[in-house]
Amino acid sequence: MTIEVMQEKPALPRLPKHERYAGIITAVAIVILLQIASMVAPHYIAPPPADILSSLWNKLLPLYGDMLLTLGRLALALGCAMLVGTGLGLVMGMFPTARPYVRSVVVIDTGIPALSWMLIAVFWFRMPELRIFFILLVIVIPFYALGVADAIRAMPKDLLEMCESFRPNRWQVLRYLIFPHVLPYIFATTRSVIGYATRMIIFAELIAATAGIGAQMGLAQANFDIATILAWTILLVGLNIVLQQLVTWVEQYMLSYRQAIEVR
Amino acid sequence: MQTALMKTAMVQTDLPAIQLQQVGVTFGDVVAIQNLSFAVERGEIVSFLGRTGAGKSTALNLIMGNLAPTRGEVRVMGIDPKAEFQQLRRVIAVGFQTDRLMPWRTALENVELGLQILHEEKTATRKKATEWLARVGLERAANLYPHELSGGMRQRVSLARALAIDPEILLLDECFSQLDHVTSQVLRADISRLIRELRKTCLFVTHRIDDAIEMADRILVFGAPAKLLLEHHPTEADRNDPAAFKVLHDLIAEKLGIVE
Repeated sequence: MTIEVMQEKPALPRLPKHERYAGIITAVAIVILLQIASMVAPHYIAPPPADILSSLWNKLLPLYGDMLLTLGRLALALGCAMLVGTGLGLVMGMFPTARPYVRSVVVIDTGIPALSWMLIAVFWFRMPELRIFFILLVIVIPFYALGVADAIRAMPKDLLEMCESFRPNRWQVLRYLIFPHVLPYIFATTRSVIGYATRMIIFAELIAATAGIGAQMGLAQANFDIATILAWTILLVGLNIVLQQLVTWVEQYMLSYRQAIEVR
Repeated sequence: MQTALMKTAMVQTDLPAIQLQQVGVTFGDVVAIQNLSFAVERGEIVSFLGRTGAGKSTALNLIMGNLAPTRGEVRVMGIDPKAEFQQLRRVIAVGFQTDRLMPWRTALENVELGLQILHEEKTATRKKATEWLARVGLERAANLYPHELSGGMRQRVSLARALAIDPEILLLDECFSQLDHVTSQVLRADISRLIRELRKTCLFVTHRIDDAIEMADRILVFGAPAKLLLEHHPTEADRNDPAAFKVLHDLIAEKLGIVE
């Protein structure tokens, strides 16, 4: 017996033309507003876009080492937080006895302000790298832990029963069922947390480090150099967009099985 | 089949494939099964027919080892399926009511699942899965994801996944009931032929009288709570002669309390 397969791949939805250019139009509008503001306010409050661009080119680009340092710190801490958070989420999802204890720790962690962690880290750790790593880790872990635990709760019981009908061991259930099921949730968490983590690392560098974008912004603030601060800000916005896009590309590649749907 | 049994050392080969003796199951005050006894011999295809609430799913869960009886004894190849869950690896496979395919796996990868769990070698796994997809007529759909397949095709993949591990016992839980009449008939005929060719023991749970008559060597009709109302061995005449088919159909319908 042979079943004829008719297959027509649905085309990926494309943004309408007016939406595609919305970002560019908004950016141009901000530049115009900045120019107008610089004409009515003193330059130490609202520098003209040309000064910001000059700072971006002449002051920031030579500091690529600080940018790479911040990115490296972000990647390392985010990667570790993803691993630890996913592990905690799996414990919460798979071990009912441990669940309330781990959940309590995670919930307490989410209630501690980021600033408290930053100040605590300054007291606890001497090395700036360790301070920043610790700060980002404790701030980001709960997002992954709660996301993964919720993903396991949302797992269809039907699939678990089907998998168990082959009598797998616990590791096989994790490998063949749970991990592929929670992967989209890990990507969704990463996409939503990456902007927040970037802001937190800048904040942590401002308080607890002598190098990196945050530390350089602190230096610019000490020198009353608003143009450089705005240039760093623009760079960070760009960086965030690039990072989001990178995660989206990896997600699209890894989760290519997902069906494109369009809600009317 | 023998290789599969040899791998499961504790399996006893001289006992019925499935045996329930004076089994009772209660959930709180609710009696799901009361004093149920029946056996399925090796190579036999038995239909377990009953209306909603007749304890069909509970009985299936007992046999699968997902549930322990409140009283009585359940044995699969002489083994307690709940207490010695892992001993029945590769012995039982299940075809479910819905396809239960993993959306992140292609049709071929879905068929491979059971073989991977049983630690089959990678090349052998791919070969067997490809062969099974071909046997259910879906060799061209190997690389399609479940959402790209029709309901009937998905159910075929699901049954190929169950059969690919070469189980001794195949449990089918209303696995044609979600399909339209024509698709259901074609699939039922194909699967029935495969099960007979491979001489598998099959317990086929259904609420459709037609399915039971068409597929089974023996029909067990149950009323709630899992009380045996009728046991019948359909003959070729029952299947092929429309008049005989109708007589049997009406007899079962009457036992089930269905007015048509």
